[in-house]
Amino acid sequence: MRSLYTLLLLGATGFFSQLQAQVTITGKVTDEKKEALIGVNIQVKNTTLGGVTDIDGNYSLEVPDGQAILIFTYTGFQTQEISVKGRTSVDVVMGEATLMINEVVVVGYGTQRKSDLTGSVGSIKSSELQKVAASNVTQALQGKIAGVNVSSASGRPGEGPVIRIRGTGTLNNANPIYVVDGLILDNIDFLNPSDIEGMEVLKDASAAAIYGTRGSNGVVLITTKKGIRGQKAQFNFSAYNGIQQVGKRLDLATGSEYASLVNEFYRNAGGAAPYPNPESFGAGTDWQDVIFRDASIQNYNLSIRGGSEAMTYSISGDAFLQNGIIRSSYFNRYSLRVNNEYNLIKGVKLGHNLAFISSANNREPGGIVFNAYAADPTVVAINEAGKYGSTSTNSNVSNPAAQLEYNSYNRGYGQQLNGNAFIEIYPIKNLTARSSFGFNSINNRGKGYEPQFEVDDKQRNPQSRINAEFSRFNDLQWENTLNYSREIGIHRFSILAGYTQQARSGERIGGSRQRLIGDTEEFFYLDAGDVETATNYNIGNNPERYQSLLFRANYNLKERYLFTATFRRDGSSKFGSERRYGNFPAFAIAWRVTEEPFMKDQKIIDNLKLRASWGRLGNDKFPSDAAIPTVTNNLSAVFGGTESLNFGASLISLANPFLQWEETNSTDLGAELGFLDNRLTLEVEYYQRNTNKILVPVPIPDYVGSASNPFVNAADVRNSGFDFTLNYRNSVGKLNYRFGALASTLKNEVLSLGTGNEALFAFATRTIVGQSIGSFYGYKVVGVYQSAEEIAANPAREAVKPGDLRFEDANGDGIVDSQDRTYLGSPIPKLIYGFNFGVDAYGFDFSVDFNGVSGNKIYNSKRAARGFGIPNYEASFLDRWTGPGTSNFEPRITNGGYNYQVSERFLEDGSFFRLRSAVLGYNLPKNLLERIKLNSLRVYVSGNNIFTQTKYSGFTPEISSENVLQVGIDGGVYPLSRTWLAGINISF
Amino acid sequence: MLVLLLAPACQNGDFLEVKPQGVINANNYFQTAQHAIWSVNATYNSLRDWNLTSLPWLAMTDIVTDDAVKGSFPADAQRLTAFDDFSWDPGFPEDIRGSWRGHYQGIFRANVAIDGIPKVPAMDETLRKRLIGEAKFLRAHFYFNLVRWFGDLPLITRPLTQDEFYTQTRAATAEIYKLIAADLTEAIASLPEKSAYAPEDLGRVTKGAARGLLAKVYLTTKDYPNAEKYALEVINSNEYKLLADYPKIFLPEGENSSESVFEVQATALEASYAGATAWNMVQGVRGTPNLGWGFNLPSDDLMKAFEFGDPRRDATALLVGEALPDGSALVEDNPQMENERYNQKAWTPAHALLQDNGPSNIRVLRYADVLLIAAEALNENGKPQEALIHLNAVRIRARGTRRNILPDVTITEKAALRQRIWQERRVELAMEQQRWFDLVRTGQVEARMKAVGKNFVKGKHELFPIPQTEIDLAGGNIAQNQGY
Repeated sequence: MRSLYTLLLLGATGFFSQLQAQVTITGKVTDEKKEALIGVNIQVKNTTLGGVTDIDGNYSLEVPDGQAILIFTYTGFQTQEISVKGRTSVDVVMGEATLMINEVVVVGYGTQRKSDLTGSVGSIKSSELQKVAASNVTQALQGKIAGVNVSSASGRPGEGPVIRIRGTGTLNNANPIYVVDGLILDNIDFLNPSDIEGMEVLKDASAAAIYGTRGSNGVVLITTKKGIRGQKAQFNFSAYNGIQQVGKRLDLATGSEYASLVNEFYRNAGGAAPYPNPESFGAGTDWQDVIFRDASIQNYNLSIRGGSEAMTYSISGDAFLQNGIIRSSYFNRYSLRVNNEYNLIKGVKLGHNLAFISSANNREPGGIVFNAYAADPTVVAINEAGKYGSTSTNSNVSNPAAQLEYNSYNRGYGQQLNGNAFIEIYPIKNLTARSSFGFNSINNRGKGYEPQFEVDDKQRNPQSRINAEFSRFNDLQWENTLNYSREIGIHRFSILAGYTQQARSGERIGGSRQRLIGDTEEFFYLDAGDVETATNYNIGNNPERYQSLLFRANYNLKERYLFTATFRRDGSSKFGSERRYGNFPAFAIAWRVTEEPFMKDQKIIDNLKLRASWGRLGNDKFPSDAAIPTVTNNLSAVFGGTESLNFGASLISLANPFLQWEETNSTDLGAELGFLDNRLTLEVEYYQRNTNKILVPVPIPDYVGSASNPFVNAADVRNSGFDFTLNYRNSVGKLNYRFGALASTLKNEVLSLGTGNEALFAFATRTIVGQSIGSFYGYKVVGVYQSAEEIAANPAREAVKPGDLRFEDANGDGIVDSQDRTYLGSPIPKLIYGFNFGVDAYGFDFSVDFNGVSGNKIYNSKRAARGFGIPNYEASFLDRWTGPGTSNFEPRITNGGYNYQVSERFLEDGSFFRLRSAVLGYNLPKNLLERIKLNSLRVYVSGNNIFTQTKYSGFTPEISSENVLQVGIDGGVYPLSRTWLAGINISF
Repeated sequence: MLVLLLAPACQNGDFLEVKPQGVINANNYFQTAQHAIWSVNATYNSLRDWNLTSLPWLAMTDIVTDDAVKGSFPADAQRLTAFDDFSWDPGFPEDIRGSWRGHYQGIFRANVAIDGIPKVPAMDETLRKRLIGEAKFLRAHFYFNLVRWFGDLPLITRPLTQDEFYTQTRAATAEIYKLIAADLTEAIASLPEKSAYAPEDLGRVTKGAARGLLAKVYLTTKDYPNAEKYALEVINSNEYKLLADYPKIFLPEGENSSESVFEVQATALEASYAGATAWNMVQGVRGTPNLGWGFNLPSDDLMKAFEFGDPRRDATALLVGEALPDGSALVEDNPQMENERYNQKAWTPAHALLQDNGPSNIRVLRYADVLLIAAEALNENGKPQEALIHLNAVRIRARGTRRNILPDVTITEKAALRQRIWQERRVELAMEQQRWFDLVRTGQVEARMKAVGKNFVKGKHELFPIPQTEIDLAGGNIAQNQGY
């Protein structure tokens, strides 16, 4: 607390220091077509002073002295920061250019001119974020920023994608952190995309080091929309309505094809064919029809923004309503945001950014995608008598139609209140002191219900059942910063220093009961079930606390030579007292070559900046109890004539008291170029991120007896690659067009896995030194054994017959056995790219965005899931081996076992190229608008995921996972949808 | 100035000291008698672990022998065919490692208890001794299985510290047996008899259980005088008697019967799976009725091993077309199953929740087993007449009310009687996970395996290989068994 008092004290003295000579600055703000811009907000940096442009675009304001810095903000345009440098008249042209000299970007704990940046920061504006209809704004980042890989783990409504910034730098949680108006968060599922002004991705250490122990996986900064000073209330209404469809259906065996295959299987096994007349089944049931639907997606948003001299306000309400393309699934979110600032006392600004979110969702029945894929097509979903067909008898999966009736009550409700309240004081000239209190409070509840039912003796539930869970999570953040910036002749510098602390806590409580007294929603409470069947739990999260010092200095010499030094010292409760504090420094330099006198005479290059940075970052996203072993409860024993449970608890695992955070040493080299009056810009970067001390459960011998391997800071991983960004814009008459392209390459390599470098195995993957994380591991397929002679010449350890797969004898020891499993490819793309094109003229605008990845593999594990029952086949299996020479790809019909081990048979190319979005819009002309008293009106139609070109045979080639060892395994993922929308934006 | 301003706040280390919520950690464990009891209960809990009751356990005790075959569909857990044809190796199948791992995890919990209970500041000393005795019995039980499967072992008698993980070597089999005997001797001294336990403690290990297990240990090490001594101590304690009706032993009403010396306690709770094992499900009828996965099926060779009319044959195998023991359904033919004939001793009637809520107690040591140990030891010690009394007691019970079957054995010639006792063990204890240990102990393994066409290699297959991961991780400190 002491530091807060000090800040207040400094603030009080500040009132007096501001009483000094003032200067009046006037000027005009226009757009690139020289048209006046009305209502542009102008703020004097590090003060509460400011103003707004009038109907002719003119402004006039008082500034403390001739060294003031003015910040020009206007919705839809790049914010600019301009030094007055003793002038009394400053005219400004606001543009949409991607590389304006005075453009401002948000950086950690502050803002900077883009031209002053020494680190790697990727930006995206609100207009780009609106192109993709999704609950989570990170979907809109796909293919938009070089080095940022956005990949969906599922198309389930309300679920965000998996984001990897410049590769996968850990074997643990590799997610970036999100900073929304200064609030540090682990996810932004709650955030309403239309409230966002812009997003910045901090990619290198120089940009992210200010986030210290949490910056290693990258940082996504998000700024929400604020009100505009001195502008009368502006209302904005926007809405869209659309339809989503499954992008692709799979070609599965029909009823008669399936029956024939089953007959063949039994005949080969020496049994009797169960279907005497396979043709009678015809097409049979396509279970995809049962589960998929065309689903609606809607969004309504109303906002009011404006301000007076004393305050600015921004209030927005939003409803997002999405049904899933799998029946019964949906996600609805209602949000309210109030971002206000108050200039109540001279030299003091108060403000808050507050969001309240309420959401409800329902999950589809578990495993229903795989079940629809595998279910017996000869069975009817439901017969005339209303009885569900049994799909478990033959195909050993639940009847998806019955699942939709019996297993589709899986509700989740969330309420979230977050934001911050802050005070900014300008105690002396050029100094801003800020103290911000942030909080994030989440209350979730979940309810699941399953009635008593019986489809067959596998798909049944003998007693009705209810389960419920309530959870709460709290996060408090207190951040105090001092920001001093100044220009003295050829020197311009700014210094940031701060102290922050954070505390997080949470708990969950839940239970279940059976035999409910009623089967409608009003009975879905635990007390409506039989107390004899009750289970319950209440789990407390380990509190997490942080305490940090932060510091940053930027120095600009002659507008040519730029230097940045950053330092953060973090203390974290997650670690033992010996390893509690860590230091995270970063340094960067940049040279704006085109500002040199010797470059002034050439006309080819408008802008050339070279930059280099190095820094150290941390990752502490792993369990907070990894350092001290905890006693495991509920290891109970049964004793007594009544066979009752006797509580047991013990230490079952060892832990590592010497744990510390993971460290990433990150180097970045970049060049920014501008040609043709900066209409053509190019940015090229090379990066290398070496992550050391990665927490890895280094295998210990089983004889130690620990139930799990204790984590050790042992592994090293390197990510390296190039990021390219190219933009071109031009006009022909009234027609403006632009083109952008980006590409990033990635090489991910494990350098060490600790003592003995023991491989880490997960299903279908193996992580070893020299390969990328989570590489696929299994047999290479040479072909299909055509004859007994071929088997004799190339023996396998398991008993094989002609028609079985012939695996490669990778170690050359003359026999195929488990030792021949080998590297089969990586789920991490080697290349991520995107490009876009846009044109506008006569009020019309049209844009298309493409994106793609290449060089990655997908393990299509749903094709391999056999052994119990006979799941349905894909139509491609009809070309199987049935005799010598019939197939060298698909083996003979067997059900699981040898031919279904992890092998190249199920490994497919995961590359894809997609038309991510296409938008066609029309803005009503000004004269018409004036007649109907509107500021603007835009209508548009758009499509998302319109087509995807890929060799992958599953529903969607985007198969991701939070678990870095299990990426790219498709066991029946909720498919991404194709979406068609129509929308309107009105402003008045 | 800034540093001065901010430094004090950062030095305030208390802010970063947090307590775990709702859990005990290593720093505040073993403070009360409750902690001592919990640690021992948690060791019993290991007995119900998958690795100690399910596929790994059944594979390395029954499936591997002449008594059983893998079962289930051919493609289901296909790796287990390695136990039918002796094609396992140090890295395959994973079930060998599962058994090794599961038992060492049980030893870990026993060691935590044995190490921690003496540190509890104040508790009833009789209880303290008893709890340590229970933990030592369980540790001996785990080591006894391991040493019979793998031979020389890393001898771990307390939780290891980080610098000891990779430096262990294999102690000689004799050293392992020394620890087992010492643990069981201490357990005998400190444990009460079965009748002296409170009713709510039924199922905890007893003095009789420790004696019976020690008798079996000595029989295995061919220390016949000691085997005789401890088996007779069990018999003379008058704590146990054979149950009249053999099939009843394996039904719910046969749990903790007068014949029970030690069994793993399990139950099907209404609300959760916390009291169960997967033992029933893994061996349950596959198909219709749908009771389980259908592994570990009695072999043709076992069916032929029973004497004419031995009712134990019917009590051991559940055949297609046969009614379930409670008459609730008939076992229907499942075309995907081979050698379809289930382990009836693992059958259990309908119970709460689903298949994996297996409620059967697993009979580890029956009084009939102790009688046969006594008979074998007495015969080896030159007391055939006394041996016959115990052998025939087992046969008389099996015979029941029928007169024309299972006549009393009267041979007294040592070698011939030995064969009769071994034969009796096979049929009396069939499908109770005793066979592999008996085959190896008695040296019959090579002949029997060859008789059923398994690729047994003498001098190699008597022991399972040390899991390859252990060899790799120990960096040369752990040697592999002969032949692997």
